[in-house]
This record gives sequence, structure tokens and C-alpha cells, in this order.
Amino acid sequence: MKTPERLRIAVQKSGRLNQGSMDFLGSCGLTFAPNGHSLILPCQNFDLDVLYLRDDDIPEYVSRGVADFGIVGQNVLAEKEFELKILKKFDFGKCRLMIAAPADSVIKTPKDLEGERIATSYPKLLTDYLKKEKLEAAIIPISGSVEITPDLNLADAICDIVQTGTTLKAHNLVPLFTILESQAVLIESPINKQAKEKFLLKCGIN
Amino acid sequence: MNQFIEPKILQGTRDFLPEQMAKRDYVLEKIKTVFTKFGYDAIETPAIEYAETILGKYGEEGSKLVYRFKDNGDRDICLRYDQTVPFARVVAANYKTLPMPFKRYQIGRVWRADRPAKGRYREFYQCDIDIIGTQSLVAEAEIAKVMAEVFTALGFSKFKIKFNSRRLINSILKDLNIPAENQAGMIRILDKMDKLSLPEIKQELKSLASDSEASKLLELVCVEGSSNDRLSLFQKYNTTEIQEFLKIAKGFGIPDEALVFDPSLARGLDYYTGVIFEVYIPEVDIGAVCAGGRYDDLCSLFCPEKFSGVGVAFGFDRIIVAMEQLKLLDEISLNSQALVAYFDAATLPDSLKILGDIQTAGLKAEIYFEPAKIAKQLKYADKKNIPFVVMCGSDEKERGEVTIKMMKTGKQKTIPQDQIINYFKGYSSL
Repeated sequence: MKTPERLRIAVQKSGRLNQGSMDFLGSCGLTFAPNGHSLILPCQNFDLDVLYLRDDDIPEYVSRGVADFGIVGQNVLAEKEFELKILKKFDFGKCRLMIAAPADSVIKTPKDLEGERIATSYPKLLTDYLKKEKLEAAIIPISGSVEITPDLNLADAICDIVQTGTTLKAHNLVPLFTILESQAVLIESPINKQAKEKFLLKCGIN
Repeated sequence: MNQFIEPKILQGTRDFLPEQMAKRDYVLEKIKTVFTKFGYDAIETPAIEYAETILGKYGEEGSKLVYRFKDNGDRDICLRYDQTVPFARVVAANYKTLPMPFKRYQIGRVWRADRPAKGRYREFYQCDIDIIGTQSLVAEAEIAKVMAEVFTALGFSKFKIKFNSRRLINSILKDLNIPAENQAGMIRILDKMDKLSLPEIKQELKSLASDSEASKLLELVCVEGSSNDRLSLFQKYNTTEIQEFLKIAKGFGIPDEALVFDPSLARGLDYYTGVIFEVYIPEVDIGAVCAGGRYDDLCSLFCPEKFSGVGVAFGFDRIIVAMEQLKLLDEISLNSQALVAYFDAATLPDSLKILGDIQTAGLKAEIYFEPAKIAKQLKYADKKNIPFVVMCGSDEKERGEVTIKMMKTGKQKTIPQDQIINYFKGYSSL
């Protein structure tokens, strides 16, 4: 007899979505035994493994079907250009992708961005935004600590995730306008498996 | 007083100035990109050929339109009338060394001593692809795929590739008992379907067939419905070729709605023997923008070998007209994207370095040639529609900065000189 298919769900290894993601799986009645430093966490009462991944790798794993499901921020999903089905929007991991500029900057409205240098870890989303607004500006792609670029005269504005605004304030930056509202979402791989239905039933998702 | 020569050109010929050329180059580049994507290589042949190579290949009408002259050595010379006959000559001369099947693209000027009219020129471009040395229907389907990719790449969303088979038409004509010697004539009349009304077509057909034969033929070829609906009405005729072609075309991923079986499609030229094509842009009333088909006898006038092939010609000028009408070429600008201003001898080396940086960032850029007033340099940029003017005067030089003027808004932006490359690289829209 065929052994039942074991499903995999990709979850952020550490960071702001990890706790919410594990809480959701727990609320579905799934239990996990602590597994030290392993990046694969087997479920004790369901044919499911949790894969702990970097959040920006999650769409890739899910689109290839290596993971059947994933919990990821909408911002990461949109930046990665994968057309993956969103099954559920969660009310954790809420944040906004915003344009911010130094308090004394001339940049106040979207059209002030014309020709300016904007540092971001989300070049694709920023490109889409500028295109939509019919603006042209120099995008400076940076992987992290985007907030310090205006101080270093590397950028005139930044485009980054804002949750509480504390980090911006610490760098004398003022959030100006939102280009994307984001939250954690449950995504599904395009590869069909029978066992997926059972998991969705367990989680109360149709 | 000086006598000047009037700077005129022959009727039916054209000068293309930079703005027009930018559009033509853009279209040509897109077309070539698709051709090369499918592994077609380019060939060229001379503009002038021996008269015997060219003459007598285009029917009575065509031969009158060939440009023919004696050169200084009293040789009988013709200008290239199309690219197919020179291609046949090239194949006949080289088939032993060419890879077979041989596929090539050829883009060049041809000349016709025609009376110029709207859309009819004495000198114009042809843009051909052909595959020779195979009878496989994969070749027809690949040609259809290339056509679909070309028109998609050019931004046409509703193009229709109409196709039919000469074998099917012949089998219908045979079934109607049309004598062999009248069949070619009837095909030429059917080819006028999009120019004449149905009663006019019928009238012409009656010169070669009876009233009932003409009615039956028109009834057959003017059916409505999807490709498959239409095809189902032709069960009693030989449709295996068309069905097989459709199957392979589907494998190539040609969208169903782009490929239309049209049993009334005939193509006037006698040399077609199998699947034939015409491409139309429904929104633009300009006739076929691309056409061709399968022929079985390309080189027989030049060598004993027989080569079956399939090929189409893209109507370059008509494609341009259609794109202009649909505003698909409005965004095309001249080459230069940035002008570096020339202030004085002291700052010229910095300006030249900046020019290099801008080009490294991937922009097409130029320097102004004289230390003219900045207003004059800006005017030059404006006239060439250059979006950025980059300035490094003595103040900027001292501070290690550079000022970028965005011509669209007039806004100026000053950044450190060493950021120029990344600044311009950051424009994803350029």
C-alpha cells in the first residue's frame, strides 16, 4: 500500500511572522515536538512537516511545490513576482510599504519623487508604483538597513516596511504615503496533491 | 549667382529622417529578435543582378515592372524585384554546402517600376523568412508560430493568421469537375475575395465555370464559425494536412483565436502548393500585413534539384502604417537619452568622464560639441527630445558634484559625481 503523502508548510524561521504562523497551526489543533535546531519540524498528529525558511525564500519553495503551503507576508510575495494562490489572509504580520523622507526634505507628495534617489529592498514593488504614478526616479536597491541611506547622502527617500514607525523616527525620517498594505497570507503551491484537501479541512479553509 | 540642384527624389522613393528611422529600426529589431530566437540566420543578395536571373519569373504583369538597364560595360542588368528569386539563385548555387533543411531570413530593399500610389512605392522593404529542404508540416507550424510571435512582440493584440490549403482548394475544384486548365484562374479570382463583393466574384467565376459550379464553390468557401466548425464541413475533401497542421500549431502554443481556417483564402500566385497564410490586423483596413505559404519548386529554373519549402513575407511598410494608426509607435524616441553639457575647457575632462559613466550605466548619451550658452544646449536637448541634461560647471567640479536636469519637468537634482552610474542604473524605465 502507498504510504500517505506527507505535506510540507513553509514558515518564517525567525522574525515577525514566526510566532503568528506557529500560533495559527496550533489553533488548528496541530502539535509539534521541540526539535532543537533542525529546520524541519514534524507535526505529531498530522502528516505534515514545517520547514523553517527565510521569508523571502518561501514563495520560491511553494511555487516549485517543494512546500505545499507557505505563510508569508504579502509584501514578500508581491516582490517575488510568483503567481501563487492566496488561500487566507491573516490578521497578523500587518504592515505598510511606505515612502519616507527626512523631516527637512522637499519631498512631500508622490510627484516630488521625480528624479530623486529612493533606497529600497522592494525594487519591483517600487518600480510598479512609480510606473503606475507615471513617475521616473532612481531606485537604489539595498538589502537591509535602508533607513540610514538618506543620512549618508546615498538616497533622498526610502521605500520600506513600516510597522510602528519607531525605526523611522530614530533616523529622523517621516512616513509620507503608503504604496502597499500588507499582512501575512497562506499560499498554496500549484502542484496538486490529494492530501492537501485534508490539511485545509483541518484548518477550516475551503 | 549660384545655380543649385533641386534637392528632390524620385516619386515612389522615400528619405527616412531620424524620427521615422527610429520607429523603423525599433520594428525591425523586434522582428529580427523573433527570427533569431527560432534560429533563422540572415543572408543578403546584391541589389543588381543579371537580367536573365530576374526576368520572366513574375508573370507578364510583373516583368513590366522590373527595373532594367544597360550598365557601363553594356551588361543587361535588373534591380532586385523581390527576394525570393535571388534566394532561389543562392540556394541553387550553394545547396551542396548549405545545412539542409535551410532556414534564413532576409530583409532588404526591392525595386518596382510601378506607378506610385498611396502605399505603393518604387523602392520598399521586404522582410522574408523561408525554410527549404523539408516537406514536414512542422515547418508550416513554425512559420505560423514566428508570425504569431512577431505580431505579439510588436504589440498587436487582435491579429488573425488566416490559413488554408491549396490541396483543399484543388480537391474542391476537382470535385466540382472544374477542368485543370481553369483551376489556377479560379484561384486567382478567389484571391480577390477581400477586394470585390460576392456577386462580383461570382460574375468573374462564371467566365471559367457554370453558374451552379460557381454558386457551389462560393457556398463552400464562405462558411462561418470556428476553425474546427468550418473544418467539419469539409469532411468529404482532403483535410488531413490542415488537421495535422493545426495539431502541431497547438503544440507550438499558438493561441486558438489567432489562427483562423479560412477556406476562401487563395493567394494569387501560381507556385503555392500546400498550406497558405495571410495575416490581418482587424482594426486597420490595410489588407494583409504578412503572407506566404508552401511551394514545391523553388529552384527548378536554376538547377536540376527540387526544393520544397515554406516561407512568408512581412509587409514592413504596412506594418509600420498599422502600428502608427494604433499608436504603438508613439513612445519611440531618438537614440540619445542624456546630453552632457559643455561649459568650458577646464571642466571638459570631468564632463567627458561623466559621459563615460552615464554610458556605463547603460544609457545612450552624448556631449554637446561647443561651450555654448547653456540655454542653447538645452534647446538642442529639447529638439532631440533628450530626457536628461547633465551639467558639471566649475561650482559642481569644485564640490565633486553633478547636476541633472530632467527636461520633462524642468526639475534639477544635484548628486555626488561618483554616484552617477548607480543613479542612472536606478531608472528601471530607461
